[in-house]
Amino acid sequence: MEAHDSPLADPAEIRRAMEYYADRGWTDGLPVVPVTESYLAEFLATTSRDPDEVLMPMPQLNRQCTVRLAAINAALAGCRPDYFPVVLAAWESLTREEYATRGIWQSTTGTAPLLIVNGPVRKRIGLNSQGNVFGSGFRANATIGRAIRLGAINALGLRPHQLDQATQGTPAKYTACIAENEEESPWPPLHAQFGLDPSDSAVTAMIIRSCIHIEARHTTVPEQLALDITGTISRTGALIHETISALVVLSPEHARLFSRAGWGQADLSEFIYTRAVHSRAELAAVGKDAIARQTRWRLPADHPDAVPDQAQASGTPDVVRVLNSAGAVLVVVAGANNAGVSAVIETFGPRGGPPAVVRVADPDMKQSERSGNTT
Amino acid sequence: MPAVSICTDSFLLPAQAMARAYGFPGFEFATVPHPIASLDTEQIRARARGVLPGVLRILGLES
Repeated sequence: MEAHDSPLADPAEIRRAMEYYADRGWTDGLPVVPVTESYLAEFLATTSRDPDEVLMPMPQLNRQCTVRLAAINAALAGCRPDYFPVVLAAWESLTREEYATRGIWQSTTGTAPLLIVNGPVRKRIGLNSQGNVFGSGFRANATIGRAIRLGAINALGLRPHQLDQATQGTPAKYTACIAENEEESPWPPLHAQFGLDPSDSAVTAMIIRSCIHIEARHTTVPEQLALDITGTISRTGALIHETISALVVLSPEHARLFSRAGWGQADLSEFIYTRAVHSRAELAAVGKDAIARQTRWRLPADHPDAVPDQAQASGTPDVVRVLNSAGAVLVVVAGANNAGVSAVIETFGPRGGPPAVVRVADPDMKQSERSGNTT
Repeated sequence: MPAVSICTDSFLLPAQAMARAYGFPGFEFATVPHPIASLDTEQIRARARGVLPGVLRILGLES
């Protein structure tokens, strides 16, 4: 072999580096990309933020995730440097959402962060919003979600069997990042529902318990489809607290079914809110007809800690709502426009207020931000 | 005030990880068998009786 045909890197050395990362416990179980100072600098060059700025404090663990640590873990995860502004917005959204910093990532519940990306950045970095949107095959989706998981492991120390006490966890813990299919949605995108301009790019992070598949090819009646979705949201296994919350991810076909009938996202949320109910007897049958005095988790009415739920004190004590408001159900559109398949994301907590929508800093704005002209 | 942390045996590894995070790698926990949340009053009392010698030992009160 001529000298100029020699590989620039020794494959054995590459394997050795990968084994080193694995041996140190710096991975999620899959191989990671080795990170050098010069490669790290490429990530940090995409933002005007101070590398030492704290993105997520975790004082109960004596840890924090800084911009630098977020960049290292994004690089480890396989992100390209130009994905990093999205990763930064994701960390900021998770911190604003507060469930992570309040300790849910240590909980036996075993949640994962789901990232929903909106706006022009989706196209710019190749985020998938269409077919197989929750599945594999797209580098930006796969690695941006993974960047958060590796940050949780390496920056915050949340390793399973140690500070991550998840009983079972969820496959979403490897990565969970989708883009909204704005082009095939009949409705305003998520970030525009909450005050941003559609031309902005944004990340909305939500701590989730699970992702449930709904296959409904059988109907063109909006009320029937809405009730089918409602039945999944109100299942008693999900009804842990007094009330719960959900994100409905409609396929374009399902979204258009509602839209053709004149329904907007708010109409679907309102319908679900009013129909997601259980009778007192249904809840008693599964031992969830009261709530705990302190935690407000559901438990049997004869439990020593039991107090009545809010429905009990209402004019209709035998009708127990699963949701605290229509705002506890958010609606976005993602997936291919090829079938009546949608998903219910079981989001953590009661919610009801606006989600943590965070604008992705525009790389072209970097110079003006440096000079203090921030928006 | 002297205090002893009690957890179920299922939480001993995370508890020890938490102690390391705070700079007390040798911190001792008194443990009770898992579970707790689903027990009735008498079963909880039995857990309390069972863990008491461990609590006293960590407090340095063993005879």
